[in-house]
Amino acid sequence: MPRIPPLQVVPAVGVPRLESRRRLLLALTRIWPWAFLGLLLIFFSATGVGFFTLRNSQNILVAITPVLLMGLGQTLVIISAGIDLSVGWVMGLSSVASAIVIRDVTAAGAMGPFPAILLGALAGLAVAVFIGFANGAIVAKLHVPAFIVTLGTSFVARGAAYLLCGGNVVGGQPPAVRAFGNDALMYLVRGAGGGLYFFKKPDVTGLQLRMMDRILPWPVIVTVVAVAIFIFVLRKMQFGRHVYAIGGNREAAIRAGIPVDRHTILLYTLSAATAGLAGVLNTARFSGGSAIAGDPLLLPSIAAVIIGGVSLFGGKGTVLGTVVGALIIAVLQTGLVMLAVQPFWQFVVVGIVVILAVLMDQMRDLVLGRAESA
Amino acid sequence: MMAGAPPREPMLSLRELTKRFGGLTAVDRVSVDIYPGEVVGLVGDNGAGKSTLIKMVSGVYQPTSGDIRFLGKPVQISGPALARDLGIETIYQDLALADNLDAAANIFLGREVKRRFLGGFVTTLNEAHMHAETEKALSTLDIHIPSLKAEILTLSGGQRQAIAITRAHYWDAKLMIMDEPTNNLGVVEQRKVLDLIRRLRDRGIPVILISHTMHDVFAVSDRIVVLHRGRKVAEKRTADTDQEEVVRYMIGLLDDTSPDGVGGQASLPAG
Amino acid sequence: MKRLWVLVLAALLATPAMAQAKPKIGFLPGTVDPFYQVMEKGVRDAAKDLGLDVVVQIPATWGPTAQTPILDAMIARGDLDYLIIAPVDKEQMIAPLEAARDAGIKVITVDTFLGNGDYVSGPVTFPLSYIGSDNVEGGRIAGNALADTLGGKGKVYIQNTIAGTSTTEQRSEGFKEAIKAHSGMELVSEDYNNDDASLSTQQTAAVLQREPDLAGIFGVNVFSAQGAGQAVLNAGLGGEVQVIAFDATQFAIEQLRAGTVSLVIAQKPYDMGYMAMEFALADARGVTSLPRRVATGYAVITRDNVDNPDISRFIYRTAD
Repeated sequence: MPRIPPLQVVPAVGVPRLESRRRLLLALTRIWPWAFLGLLLIFFSATGVGFFTLRNSQNILVAITPVLLMGLGQTLVIISAGIDLSVGWVMGLSSVASAIVIRDVTAAGAMGPFPAILLGALAGLAVAVFIGFANGAIVAKLHVPAFIVTLGTSFVARGAAYLLCGGNVVGGQPPAVRAFGNDALMYLVRGAGGGLYFFKKPDVTGLQLRMMDRILPWPVIVTVVAVAIFIFVLRKMQFGRHVYAIGGNREAAIRAGIPVDRHTILLYTLSAATAGLAGVLNTARFSGGSAIAGDPLLLPSIAAVIIGGVSLFGGKGTVLGTVVGALIIAVLQTGLVMLAVQPFWQFVVVGIVVILAVLMDQMRDLVLGRAESA
Repeated sequence: MMAGAPPREPMLSLRELTKRFGGLTAVDRVSVDIYPGEVVGLVGDNGAGKSTLIKMVSGVYQPTSGDIRFLGKPVQISGPALARDLGIETIYQDLALADNLDAAANIFLGREVKRRFLGGFVTTLNEAHMHAETEKALSTLDIHIPSLKAEILTLSGGQRQAIAITRAHYWDAKLMIMDEPTNNLGVVEQRKVLDLIRRLRDRGIPVILISHTMHDVFAVSDRIVVLHRGRKVAEKRTADTDQEEVVRYMIGLLDDTSPDGVGGQASLPAG
Repeated sequence: MKRLWVLVLAALLATPAMAQAKPKIGFLPGTVDPFYQVMEKGVRDAAKDLGLDVVVQIPATWGPTAQTPILDAMIARGDLDYLIIAPVDKEQMIAPLEAARDAGIKVITVDTFLGNGDYVSGPVTFPLSYIGSDNVEGGRIAGNALADTLGGKGKVYIQNTIAGTSTTEQRSEGFKEAIKAHSGMELVSEDYNNDDASLSTQQTAAVLQREPDLAGIFGVNVFSAQGAGQAVLNAGLGGEVQVIAFDATQFAIEQLRAGTVSLVIAQKPYDMGYMAMEFALADARGVTSLPRRVATGYAVITRDNVDNPDISRFIYRTAD
């Protein structure tokens, strides 16, 4: 037997914990989006006209609704190391489909406004889910890269949307639709003789009307519920854990017996469903179905996800991060208007922030990676 | 291990196992018995058929001919899941761990423990239970890692290897196969992994160890099986041989199965 | 039109400046293109001339998705009295603009009207006024001009922009009306280029291939005309195929001079912007007789009159 040098007593503790400086850097990479958002809020509140108002806060919440909804599904998909480029046109398709159903059902006098809206919403979600399922199935079973599949289906969705609406906005919506899209849970009428009103829009005019702010419009509440559900699924449910595993090491997930193909299909279906929900809410907000509504929102939704800390390589990220990312983009957009600055600066800043996010991600890996060689 | 011990049943019995891929015979009528509580080193040069042999045991490949008995019963290991169900755990070189998850998440990967709410309508992960079990599993094998909740990306190679082994052990592995477990590890870590293998053996779990590192094979195995071009050319107790001899078997200069004990094709080491 | 100018100016000068009326005005056009840039120039010149404060924000892309958040933010500023807006959709922007009205901001629409444009007895009555081209009439002018040039006979094709945009759909409508009135003329097809000049070129090139005896093309806006003209040039058919361009960009004028385009129909965005500002100031000063709808008219530019300063001032020049 070869000679083995006498064994030294090896301490039970393995690698020493990361030094405090490294831990600080690590913490920085995790909280910087929050810090940046805070800085933006402080800056714009101090310098922008009308930024730090209740009305504006609600504007920002309404503005992030579609981007955040699309970002929810996208977050899950990107954590699994995939990507969904079809969400923009799926949103438009859903908007059109839901508007058509609501319009036709209402015109036929078949049912009251609320059942009609429900049916329209289901129709919008159904077409979205159909496309999402197709995405997932092709990615999982035919092994075509997600980038390509979803790019392809985005064109299909676009064509379908245009075919359905003939290129025009689908109108003919009953007033209840606009109410759903614009009314709020609460209304605050400021000043003398004002008050807090729940559920019903107070019938005020003149000065009081001017002093009225809506608080938590219905679309915002729907979005908040969706965000809560997604946070729960990702953090607390087995499916969420599996999504992280698939993104971290797909091979390991397969060997561990995780039904990766089934999960993939579900992921892309969910992603399309959130885009579909965004489309339905868009129809409600603008009282009309628009095919082009979602296309300009695709890249901002991906940017929001990346700024929030989801790595494009998969395995990392949180829903709350995406919320912060969406808020950063909306705050920038709004704040620049308050400063009467050219809105195009918003694009420059968002671009810089996205690159910063990726750099932070790399730095994190670097800091952690060094521990291995110890 | 022990010539004088009372005869025991082998846990795994391979009889005339053969695997052909088209015209190529990767494994040629190999027969081996593996007993509980031993470490068997499986060595051979590149292309000797070690991986292929092991993959038939772990269910990735199906044998062209020959049979396998596990715990005395003939088995058809038609897939990796079946191998796992039988209690055969294989730890490949890449460890099949998710670096972005923590130790508990990895150990319970695919077999997470859940809690039910609302009459079974909602099920969530029972993280407290999984973490507690992980702590127990690790301490049973006397493994210490700095943080149970950190992503295992932050751990050293040896610690990750230890987690992979703990996972296999926790899920009642009856037989473990390890493919190059000490690759890419520093000296200290290599030693720790070998200790771990010994601890497994001492608990009655046989380990089949594939390794190119002669030093490791000799440090930890009780028997050595040498493959050369798909055939078993030697099976010896470690104590009865040495590195030089084993190498000669590996390159074909010696062959216990040929009538004159000398390599059939007098093969010189290739380049 | 000139009479209207004078009237408004006179009203402004005549009315005593009541309560130091210095309203703060917001301007929100459709998107980035020379037509709106000239409009912005009109707005800013008016601001300078009349001593007014104006906040200008320009959506980067076309559509309610882009225009609405900016609109909401402008409302939330809380300091605007008037909003001059070119709504990107005559139906979808109603609700967001009603929010402006509710917040006490008076709305003046330019270039695109809300509802059916009749702010007196139509479905939408809250805006102060609609100042813009009569787009159906503009389309008719284009159609008739093309028919004249072609001697009342020939195949024609429409290059349209983003489907569903009311202004351009109206131009197409007017054009089709005029063409139908000439029995010798035939509309072969209409394509939508999504406001992308290069797509417009591609589509036009395809049609030129398909219809070897195509005689005329109508480009309904800046990029449509640009793209179509480029395709005709590329095919070497400059001068053979008559192109009528809507919107007088520098490029359209160049093509006019080169003979690829035979007619350019210029809107008067500068006037729209300037007049809207005047209306805002007049309203702030208590004038109640402002017209609810003003059709700003067209300048028809041909190779013959393009150098006439009276006509050439309507070319959309942005660099000054």
